[in-house]
Amino acid sequence: MIQFSQTKIGYKKTLLKIDSLDLKEGKVYALVGRNGVGKSTLLQSMAKLLPLMSGNIRYEEISLKNLSRNQMARLIAFVESKFDGVEYLSVQDYLMLGRAPYTSLTGKLRETDKAFVNEISTELQIMHLLEKSTTEISDGERQICSVARALIQETPIILMDEPTAFLDFINRQKLLELLIKIATEKQKCIVLSTHDIDLCLENQLTFLIASHGKLTLENCRTKQELVEKFS
Amino acid sequence: MLFPIAILLHINSGQIDLSFSDYFPQDLSNLSTNELLAREFRIPRLIITIIAGSGLAISGMLMQTLFRNPLAGPYVLGINSGASLMVALSLMTGFHLFETEFGLIGAGLIGALLSGLMMMALAFRLKSQISLLLVGLMFGSFTSAIVSLLESFALAEKLKAYTMWSMGSLQQVEFSQLPVIGVVFILGLGLTFVLVKPLNLLVIGEKPAEILGLNVMQTRFLLMAITALFAGLITAFCGPIAFVGLAIPNLTRILFRSQNHTWLIVGNLIIGAIFLLICDSFIQLMEGRIALPINVLTSLIGAPFVVFLLMRKIK
Repeated sequence: MIQFSQTKIGYKKTLLKIDSLDLKEGKVYALVGRNGVGKSTLLQSMAKLLPLMSGNIRYEEISLKNLSRNQMARLIAFVESKFDGVEYLSVQDYLMLGRAPYTSLTGKLRETDKAFVNEISTELQIMHLLEKSTTEISDGERQICSVARALIQETPIILMDEPTAFLDFINRQKLLELLIKIATEKQKCIVLSTHDIDLCLENQLTFLIASHGKLTLENCRTKQELVEKFS
Repeated sequence: MLFPIAILLHINSGQIDLSFSDYFPQDLSNLSTNELLAREFRIPRLIITIIAGSGLAISGMLMQTLFRNPLAGPYVLGINSGASLMVALSLMTGFHLFETEFGLIGAGLIGALLSGLMMMALAFRLKSQISLLLVGLMFGSFTSAIVSLLESFALAEKLKAYTMWSMGSLQQVEFSQLPVIGVVFILGLGLTFVLVKPLNLLVIGEKPAEILGLNVMQTRFLLMAITALFAGLITAFCGPIAFVGLAIPNLTRILFRSQNHTWLIVGNLIIGAIFLLICDSFIQLMEGRIALPINVLTSLIGAPFVVFLLMRKIK
């Protein structure tokens, strides 16, 4: 689904060089690496928020360079580590923004769009939050709402920049279980950056290890194995 | 509901009582004194008050959404300062480009647009919004220093013209100028309604908006351009009118409890107009006793309101 070939990623200077790598649908990838190694830069480059230094990324055989902003919006959703909420912005209005790539110039939702928002809200059990303001709910609830918005965007790929960073340990586990379920049931490709190694090991995620300017795909099952890959 | 009441209040608060029929003359070529008064003074004043109130409120709303900051507005971001500087230059120095009657408006518009562009360039360099507001305030101080310098060299007559302009007035507009003002205003308003979807997306931030398919650079430019158009137009015709652009969008959000810009635009249009109509009615009523400049009155009401908003935020 996502193919890297001779890709160089960085901002001003190259941080990561990815010769060849293939990410598949139906899986959750944990992007791990030390601070400053380029995890955020990689995710932003994949979302075309930053230009590639050189090389190419292909999504379902289409080159990143040839994708317009609006085509990207139908291909990739992005969840940031924290959404602080906006005063007077209701959860429902926030979720409905997720349909923006499919609405016309006026931004008005069709009945099918509204039905889809309701379907995802029911699935993620946030129906009771819809009427509330995004500033009134807890951090954990807000993060689930961010994930819901990403699902409402209806993209085959979801990128997440440290989505568990501000959650307590129960909410972390819940979120991860939810993501694995979504990836397998809806055949999506989810890439999340994290420092939460234990959590990823417990849930048997596939690791994307960013280290020494390279990105490698590893199936580590123990912490020891993982630490060895870093050095 | 309040809007028609505010209009009635405004047209009935002048010094001379006019009957309703004076506003609709039968014979345009032979106007009575009262009909002339209605046509040359009351109607232009009424319309420019509505346009100024609405336009400033809308431009404030656009800036607050663009910068995701409730303290942004054409005044704080230095757009008014730019307009003032250019108007001062054209009134007090021999700037022959702006000698005609519409030259003043041209000067105001160019000043607003230039300072708007400058602030926009800075906005993308400065990550923190507080520093952007600080730069806006510094720019305001800087331009007022230049204006003071100009004043100290200016002839008494020209100095007076600028001082009068700087206190703000809703009486300077003539009937014949209304079509131009109206067309520019409607144009800006139409453009604002087209931008409802981008505005709603910007509420959650530029990066998430971009992920949802928004062309951020284009939107930024359009929003700045509309703001400069509104603020420049109004500042050129009425002088600087402070705090309307800052206070009214906040009041509208509090009253509407929404971030849907379709409603916020309508709300700002109406509440901005009502606010300025009431202010100007008050000024007209006081006219016999004291000559209260509009800029003084809006600052007297607006500044405490903004302090109240800040206290609410900090708590």
